[in-house]
Amino acid sequence: MTAIPGATATLEVRSVTMRFGGVLAVDDVSFSARTGEVLGVMGPNGAGKTTLFNVISGVQRPTSGDVSLRGMRLTGRSVEDVASCGVTRTFQTPVMFWGLTVRESVEVALAAREFGGTYPPAPLRELAPCGLGSPGRRHAQAALRERADVLLAGAGIAAMADRATESLAFGEERLLELARALAVEPTVLLLDEPLSGLNPDEVDAVIASIRAARTGGVAVLLVEHAVGELLSVADRVVVLDHGRMIAEGSPAQVAADPVVIDAYIGDELE
Amino acid sequence: MMASLWQYVLSGVVDGAIFALVAAGFVLIYQVTGLINFAQGEFAMIGAMTAAALATAGMPTLAAAGIAVLAAAVVGALCYLLAIRPARKSTGVTLIFITLGLDVALRGLALFVWGTNPLSLNAFSSGNAIALFGGALPPQAMWVLGSDVIVFAALYVFFRHTYAGTAVRAAVANPPIASTFGIPLRTFAFWSFVVAAAIGGLGGVMIAPITSATYDMGLTLGLAGFVAAVLGGLDSLPGALVGGFVLGIVEHVAGGLWSTGWEQGVGFLILVLVLVLRPQGLLGRATRRA
Repeated sequence: MTAIPGATATLEVRSVTMRFGGVLAVDDVSFSARTGEVLGVMGPNGAGKTTLFNVISGVQRPTSGDVSLRGMRLTGRSVEDVASCGVTRTFQTPVMFWGLTVRESVEVALAAREFGGTYPPAPLRELAPCGLGSPGRRHAQAALRERADVLLAGAGIAAMADRATESLAFGEERLLELARALAVEPTVLLLDEPLSGLNPDEVDAVIASIRAARTGGVAVLLVEHAVGELLSVADRVVVLDHGRMIAEGSPAQVAADPVVIDAYIGDELE
Repeated sequence: MMASLWQYVLSGVVDGAIFALVAAGFVLIYQVTGLINFAQGEFAMIGAMTAAALATAGMPTLAAAGIAVLAAAVVGALCYLLAIRPARKSTGVTLIFITLGLDVALRGLALFVWGTNPLSLNAFSSGNAIALFGGALPPQAMWVLGSDVIVFAALYVFFRHTYAGTAVRAAVANPPIASTFGIPLRTFAFWSFVVAAAIGGLGGVMIAPITSATYDMGLTLGLAGFVAAVLGGLDSLPGALVGGFVLGIVEHVAGGLWSTGWEQGVGFLILVLVLVLRPQGLLGRATRRA
């Protein structure tokens, strides 16, 4: 149940247990995710998937066990610290920065990363073409804007770059949230049901983005109820049921596992 | 009748421009920290008193004005670092009471340092009153209105055309998520106090040649700025500008047509009407999606 020998374990979840009063939401779960793979996390509602994401991202501290990233302990760190270590997540309900345009939402993530926590006087990006700002700075601004546009194109929302985030449909919000998460070049990307509520084109765009992130060396953890899509995109799958991990393996292994079929999938694989 | 009405409007424009600056401070701090800083008017007082005191001591007016704005900014920084930041985990009501305490403390400090006598400050440029369609504006009015133009244009450029400004807007929209992107909320809170204090201080410096400077002028200016901010919408900088001018003009027209005793009363009456009919203010947003 731990890292496969020889592979680089990026994210290590060791014996994590999360208890809320008498409820055992996550029960002694251990697994690892590696650079450049998509790890599917399956399980019926209430299986503990979102709680697990909350523990990994630092929102909740586990009752016992710990999470580490490349040997560095994440458990006990604040959400901001965990994020700055390279763990980024999206939410079941997309979280937008209202008041910003689509492009600004991605640019702000890029810029925050670029300028770090210190925030020196910011570049005046619109004034720069008028001759203010050094050529180097103008070049940096142009590069940043270009990266934002590449990310938006990757998510299939380049056409709405100048729209206000308030005007986006639910699926478009999801795509923007994904583009924004990728902007910080995460080491580990936690995606909480990124396909729910999307139309077929948007599903394709998200799956393409996930595959591109994997190729780019991101360890993607994917919680998804659309089992067919999850099994098609995941390299490995872990299955949770009532907080316990009941299976781990390749999509084919997991899909054929009688325990899994019995606990969760049922006829859905047919 | 029409001529005097026009003159009331012109006088109202000058006062309104000052109210708008104080209101901008309210809006800045409210947007970034969610806090209503009732010490905002005292920043204007610090600016006015510092400039007047320095000029009285012989410093050239413009130099005194510049130092006064810096002094207000430093006071704003100290208010944040010594009073707000240590209590940042307290509830909103506690923090608002802390700002009320700051208001009283700063006024008391000014009384201690400068006493009760009004200090005067020369207008920044000499010359005759500016005639405008039969009305007249004091020469200082150009400085006051010019300050508004510069401050609001600078704020606009900052918020709309810089990455730091975009980051502040992201932080305003969703603080916890913004901070996971490495956007430094506390740094922004600090700078919101510094900039709000500097803008308030500038307002005080600009109005000092017209009204003279007193240790307790911050109370009236702070209330007017607050009313203007709520009038325009506490989350809207353009609203602060509009609210300031509306309040200034209404106050002067009411004061001129009836009696000066009506000035503030009418201002508050408008505030009540806006809160009942359009609680988000003239330019504020009705609701935010969660």
